Amino acid sequence: MKEIQLNVNGKDYSLNIDENMRLIDLLRDKLGLLGTKEGCGEGECGACTVIMDGETVTSCLVMAFQAHGSEILTIEGLESNGKIHPIQQAFIDVGAVQCGFCTPGMIMSAKALLDKNPNPTREEIREGISGNLCRCTGYNKIVDGVELAINYIEEGK
Amino acid sequence: MALEEVYKGENVDEVVELLDKYGKDAKIIAGGTDIVIDLRNNRIDPKVLIDISSIEELKGIKDKGEYIEIGAGVSFTQVVENPLFERNLYGLNKACHMVGSPQIRNKGTLGGNIANGSPAADSIPPLICLNSTLILKSVRGRREISIEDYYKDENEKIRPDELLVSIGFKKPKENQVLSFAKLGLRKALAISRLSIAILVELDEEGKIINIEVASGSLGKYPMRELELEQFLLGKKLEDSTVDEGVLVLQRAMEKRLAGRSTFPYKRVAVDRMFREALEEAMKYLDEVRL
Repeated sequence: MKEIQLNVNGKDYSLNIDENMRLIDLLRDKLGLLGTKEGCGEGECGACTVIMDGETVTSCLVMAFQAHGSEILTIEGLESNGKIHPIQQAFIDVGAVQCGFCTPGMIMSAKALLDKNPNPTREEIREGISGNLCRCTGYNKIVDGVELAINYIEEGK
Repeated sequence: MALEEVYKGENVDEVVELLDKYGKDAKIIAGGTDIVIDLRNNRIDPKVLIDISSIEELKGIKDKGEYIEIGAGVSFTQVVENPLFERNLYGLNKACHMVGSPQIRNKGTLGGNIANGSPAADSIPPLICLNSTLILKSVRGRREISIEDYYKDENEKIRPDELLVSIGFKKPKENQVLSFAKLGLRKALAISRLSIAILVELDEEGKIINIEVASGSLGKYPMRELELEQFLLGKKLEDSTVDEGVLVLQRAMEKRLAGRSTFPYKRVAVDRMFREALEEAMKYLDEVRL
């Protein structure tokens, strides 16, 4: 066992973890944050995407002990004062969610993109979510969702 | 996987001491984008894992005037976002930009691309064209090996007690340019099927006075294409020269890949990739001359 300290969604944790544990296992099994999904387990599908120290990572490719001292943001951390994030609202409003499995990772990638570049072109949005696979939507609605989110964020909705 | 001990390294000195203590039982982890998969598939089974992803001294890109030194822990994203790799070093930016996906580029490191020795590592052909040097550290001291030798020479490997700390190369001159072309199966997340990097300089008449060509996935490891370089040196880049150059490259790769199922495909594809890299280089050189 190894003791680590990290911050997840604004809350500090001190945890005893197994050396072999990955970040995704820590989030799901230790902290019960089940929004983050495991798809391929090889960094290809992006379903497990979280934001680690300001950058998106696939949490299936990060060992839990590596996250010692880090700040992690998961889909659960996007709500504030009981209100969902504008990107989440925009995804709902345009119908960017079908089965929903890719959605948390997709939204984390969209958030990281908009944090860095608040006004991306459609092409830049496509590149921003290029590490997240969706087998339902055909992506157009997702890109629409991110575009709408830009408006929502500007309007402070 | 059955790890007994994991360390989060805080500085290089600490890591080389751990490597000295554990040797082959230890494995270095940086971005983890290859190694976590290998651990879970039991392709590797180290007892000890040493994380270097938080070591600041490995994460710098240093402009030392004539030289550039890139820390082994620098991520592909850091390379892509650094203005040093625009203009005549754009080939390195492009190669790093074509790695994996945003998530992989955020975590994956240049050092990992080298130390893992993948024959399809995208960042390597440009670094070979630049005649890069790998800087290694251990408790015994500092050692340098050329990146080209690292791939082709069995005796020039990173030893179990050594840590790759940085990659250094001399900046190309203003009238030299580094370009890159890669063929993947799709836009994002594609493992490179084949890649070509070119560093070239022309004289005032348009004759090639300096050329380095390196390929990825056209052999067991990324390598210089010496026969093609010799053929092109001193010539003007007319269409017939380029056509013949393609034949020279195809003959060279045939010696290495003949009989492999991927050879007929790569033989055709390399034609387009070579021309693409060359056209990109010419575009830059034309702009500089204007």
